[in-house]
Order: sequence, then C-alpha cells, then structure tokens
Amino acid sequence: MENDTPVIEIKDLSRRYGKTDAVNGLSLTVQPGKCYGFFGRNGAGKTTTIKCLLNLLRPTTGSVRVFGLDPGKDEVAIKSRLSYVPDMVAFYPWMSVRDTLEYLASFREHWNRDVEDDLLNRFQLDPDQKTSALSKGMRTQLALIGAICPEPELLVLDEPTSGLDPIVRREFIETVIGAYQSGDPERRTVFVSTHLISEFEGLIDEFTIIEQGRELLAMDADLARERFKKIRARFSQEMKLNLPGALQVKQNGRDVEVLANGNSAKLLAELKALQPEELKYESLSLEEIFVAANLVRKA
Amino acid sequence: MLLQIDFKSGKPVYLQLVDQIRYAAASGGLNPGEPLPSIRPLAEELRLNRNTVAKAYSELENQGIIETIPGKGCFLKANHSPFTKQVKDKLLAAEIDEAVVMAHHLQVDREKFLGLVKERLDYFERKTQGNE
Repeated sequence: MENDTPVIEIKDLSRRYGKTDAVNGLSLTVQPGKCYGFFGRNGAGKTTTIKCLLNLLRPTTGSVRVFGLDPGKDEVAIKSRLSYVPDMVAFYPWMSVRDTLEYLASFREHWNRDVEDDLLNRFQLDPDQKTSALSKGMRTQLALIGAICPEPELLVLDEPTSGLDPIVRREFIETVIGAYQSGDPERRTVFVSTHLISEFEGLIDEFTIIEQGRELLAMDADLARERFKKIRARFSQEMKLNLPGALQVKQNGRDVEVLANGNSAKLLAELKALQPEELKYESLSLEEIFVAANLVRKA
Repeated sequence: MLLQIDFKSGKPVYLQLVDQIRYAAASGGLNPGEPLPSIRPLAEELRLNRNTVAKAYSELENQGIIETIPGKGCFLKANHSPFTKQVKDKLLAAEIDEAVVMAHHLQVDREKFLGLVKERLDYFERKTQGNE
C-alpha cells in the first residue's frame, strides 16, 4: 500500500512574494523509485517549490504532500524520511568534518557508517579538517555524505552541482547513482532541480520544466527524446521553404535545420519531397528540449 | 565489451543497452558463460539511472539471452535462444524486412543486397572465431 502513495504530490501550488507570483498553479507527481528532474531557468520558481516541500515556506494556495503527508502538519515525520542538499551549503565553521557528520547523525534514527567511511575515502576528505577550511566542492561532498548516510527514501537536490568543477560534478552524480540508488532501488527516489541538465541526462526518468512559476512541459524522458527531433537537410540550391508545422526553421544558404515537436515523420516527408542532397535527423537531448520548450511557449 | 549510450539516437536508453549486449553476444564480444558487468558499476560508469540498467538486464533475461545466478551476477547463456523455429523465422523476417525496405530506398538491388548479407555473416563469423 505504502508503495502506491506518490512520494511527492503537488496540486495547483501557488506561492506569492508580495505582488510577485513565484509559483503559479504548479502540479506534479513523483512516484517512488523514480529520478525526477525539475528544470527551469533562474527565477522560474524551482527553489520556492522545493522550500514548500520542506515547510520552509507555506503555500499561498494549493496543496503539497510528501509521502502523502502535509509538510505543515507532519514536518518531522517527513523530514526523517528525506535528505536535502541545497545549492549553498553551510556548516558550523569550528567543527571538523567528523564532528559535522556526528552532529548530523545525531538527528537521525539510522546512519550507515560503512557508507560514511566509503564516501570519505572516495572523496578523500580528511575527517580532522575544520569545515571552514573546505573548498566549495568539498563542502558539497560533505553535504552529500550527510544526505546519503541516513539512507532516506527521498533525496532532494537543489542545483547541487552548480559552481563545482567537472570532476567533482561527475563524482557527485556517480555517488547518487551508486551509493544512494543501489541500496533499495524501488524506494530510493530522487528529486533534482538543475539547469545543468546534460549531466543528469542518464539519470532522469521524468521531468517537469517550469517557467514563470508554471509548468511548461512535463514528460517521460525517453518519450520526450522521441517527440523532439532535429532534422538537417541540404539542398542543391537555396530553397523557399514553407513548413508551418515546424517548431523552428533555421536556414543558412542551402542548409536547413528544422525542429519537430511530435511531427517529425510529416516534416521529414515534406522535406524529402523537395529532393534534398542530404537529409539527416536526430533526437534532441534533454538540454535541447529545455531550450525548445521555451520556443513552444512563444509559438 | 564496451557500451556507449547516445541520447540523440531517439531510441530508449535501456533498449540501446539491450541491443549492444545482443550485438556483443552475436559478434564474440561476450562469450557464453562470461559475466556481464554488475549493475551498479555499469550505471556509475555510464552515468545512467540504476533502474535503466536493471531494466535492460531483465529484458535480456526475458529474451533468454542472459541468466542471473543469485549472489554471483548475470551471465551470457550458452545456447541463448528459447524460441521455436517458426518464432525464430518470424522474428528474423521482421528485422530483415526493415533492411529490405532500407535497401529499396537506397536503390540497392537484389544481388548487391544478398552479397552484403553474406559479407556481414562472414564478418560476424570471423569476429567470433577470432575471440575464441
């Protein structure tokens, strides 16, 4: 029964700061065991939504449920089952790495020491070092260890890899896949907000793109890659093209690039009828879909 | 066996893994009885969701290509076709049809097509032998 309850259920959420609607009528559902991507530009409302999940903010209207519970009423019950890594992590500067982990562990019912040792080793963090002496990358690594050792059912990541170097970013993602996800995959859910989409591409099962507090696109990742295609054609001479179904047409002399949103077969046939010298197509990556989704909105 | 994922191919990621492992099994990149990489390190290496790799492995198991030995991992099966002759023919015909349609569009004639089929069969045979 437990498994049928969505891990996160947001219905018609709005959050207003003064006269500004940071989130405006957002709905989404995350099922257990999924890795859910939450994409949006800066200021789109990602962090506000996450703060509503954690009861750091109260919704203006609409409802938020985590594990079927209301964050406003069952804050402790919810927080004991999840971990959160914010984009800016802060620790008590006078504590060492070990003190910090002990301190974090003291709030938890469960703490996996083996995973802790393993990850300290992997990240080559010195347990005796003061947190004030850690670099930004090391701080994020420490936060990640603190988030994974309690082996929570839900891992909430808010822009976790922004500002980190490529090696630390790669390690971060490998750790989420390895140390976190492989424990009990049916019940290890990840909710990650990011605009560094390509790094998380392989991890994402489903995603929502949010823009100005509203959903722009919500889809299964494989289906999205099937739906959005880029077609490239080259003709023997410059063509006057009329492709009303295309999301975007870019033309540079004899070369044409067409974006298709679910109608790539039709567009391919139309282009083929014009007898191009060369015709190629490929799927868009999630990052390109993110850009394309903003075109859909304008259209 | 080296696996590689292309997000731009438009093919679901788990099917890309299934196809590549099937290809490796047919071309000697993976020998019968040889272990497949464990799910966790493979997922980490390809930076794929662990569930995606697990889905690919369970699909390969359903197809009778690999078997899971509890506590030991996944292995390529020795004679990995559980299908009857009719089912085999039907499955194969569907794949061949695609190649035939492609050949038609590329204006490859019957002789050239058959020649190419032979060439590919020889190629796979050589690869398998080279690996033994």
